[in-house]
Amino acid sequence: MIRITGLSFQYGGGEKNALSDIDLEINNGDFLGIIGSSGAGKSTLTYAMNGLAPHHFRGDFRGEVTVNGLDTRQNQPEELARHVGSVFQDIDSQMLASVVEDEILFGLENFGIPHDEIERRMNDALESTGISELRSRTVASLSGGQKQKAAIAAIVALRPSIMVLDEPTGELDPQSSRMVFEILKKLNEEHGVTIVLVEQKIMLLCEFARRLAVMDGGKLILCGPVKDVLDSADRLEDAGVNIPRVATLARRLRERELYHGDIPLDIGRAKIMVEGILSDAAL
Amino acid sequence: MLRFDRVSFSYRTETATISDVSFEIGEGEFVALLGENGAGKSTLLRLCNGLLRPTSGRVSVRGYDTATTKTSAIARFTGFLFQNPDRQICQNTVYGEIMFGLEYILPDESERRRRTDETLALFSLDGLGDPFGLSRGERQQIALAAILARKPVLLLLDEPTTGLDYRECMTVMEIVSNLNAEGTTVFMISHDMEVVADFARRVLVLSGGRLIGDGPVRRIMKDPGVLREASLLPAQIPALAMTLGDSFANIFTIDEMADTVGQRALARQTSVGKTS
Repeated sequence: MIRITGLSFQYGGGEKNALSDIDLEINNGDFLGIIGSSGAGKSTLTYAMNGLAPHHFRGDFRGEVTVNGLDTRQNQPEELARHVGSVFQDIDSQMLASVVEDEILFGLENFGIPHDEIERRMNDALESTGISELRSRTVASLSGGQKQKAAIAAIVALRPSIMVLDEPTGELDPQSSRMVFEILKKLNEEHGVTIVLVEQKIMLLCEFARRLAVMDGGKLILCGPVKDVLDSADRLEDAGVNIPRVATLARRLRERELYHGDIPLDIGRAKIMVEGILSDAAL
Repeated sequence: MLRFDRVSFSYRTETATISDVSFEIGEGEFVALLGENGAGKSTLLRLCNGLLRPTSGRVSVRGYDTATTKTSAIARFTGFLFQNPDRQICQNTVYGEIMFGLEYILPDESERRRRTDETLALFSLDGLGDPFGLSRGERQQIALAAILARKPVLLLLDEPTTGLDYRECMTVMEIVSNLNAEGTTVFMISHDMEVVADFARRVLVLSGGRLIGDGPVRRIMKDPGVLREASLLPAQIPALAMTLGDSFANIFTIDEMADTVGQRALARQTSVGKTS
């Protein structure tokens, strides 16, 4: 689990806090979505979780971050990487090898995984991300979505208990974005991996995440179960975050006193809402 | 404004990227070009202003054949926004970037400065800023501002909102939408179906280099055959309307959905009241 207490961080040479007084606990098995406008501090918060701040990005670091009990100030990012796997925003800066298989091997060998275990880990990682057939392909020949899956597979092979991903679907089309979310869901549900995901695609977050954290100006302004956060739509709007159209619809129907239930998070639940309203009216 | 006549195009190494595509876009239209990654959208957009020329068939912009007209001549009245703003930003200040684009169309320097100031104000940009020190979203706005300063009559946009947060996305789209209201023709690639549903009036759909759909956004976004073939997911409200069945077939916006549900709930209450 990750425990963040009273965290403020200012980049060296920066003039204001990139993060201000953040308290956040992420329990084992959580699927947390982090959302907010550009410059809200989302990426910096992920750097605080994998130790890149303050070890790589130096600056004024106050408060405490522990990852599975390890204080991130006392432990180097390479040690923390055994607990937290990171997928960065710019995928091309993450991929080092020219062939998918080598990309996965790179991390495994770096971690000193015994030889007889490497093949099994490799297969498991390829299988759980659905890219077994891409094993021998060159990274350059992959589509954006395939490349993203390969980057995730390379991290999955290391079996971190927590994965932190920064806008992994930024450059992907809607179908490929959804596939990446499906993989994360599977890792979360079937393998118990804790997922922390920075994302602008609010509709996918609402459908897949359990909890949402909303950031604005370096502060964590809302955090809780997705439907509770969507209930604070006005505060989301102030933070420059839109809510899914079906959630806006539910709010309109509440204003008309036609609906009193939970905010639907996807189309299936919105359908149940509308059908419910129409059948209640007939009672 | 823009006409494709049986246009095909292939890059040297590949089979046809664009196959036998025909359509016409009239003055003042707002058209979105949809399709999954690799469908040929960016290639098609580059064929519109002569950045690429058709292997066969004919493309004409305002009557000019792109195969026989200099690309620089077409560039005088078209604006092209690349997917990645860093491909087009080339000056060290925001002011310089906007002035640069005006050099060839406004010979008078004081006129250029006036136009630049106007544009900076429209986008609320700081002219002294260094474009490369800004966020991706801000750079996208600068690239767009530099193009719009030239007042093109045809605006070609390759994913203008990718990488932007919601607020930046709405700022950019509202500027584009206002220009369109004043008469600028807009042809835009987008993966964001909510943006397409909100702003475009007509949609072209590409799949494997072929044009498989062309019509009003309200119709195409609810055409299951086209959506399936092009692997597209409709915007949420049209998607909800489709799952609710035929009696919701005409609903496309949140307002329409809320009004319809309200009216039907009321009608049911009234009819139940009468029978009981």
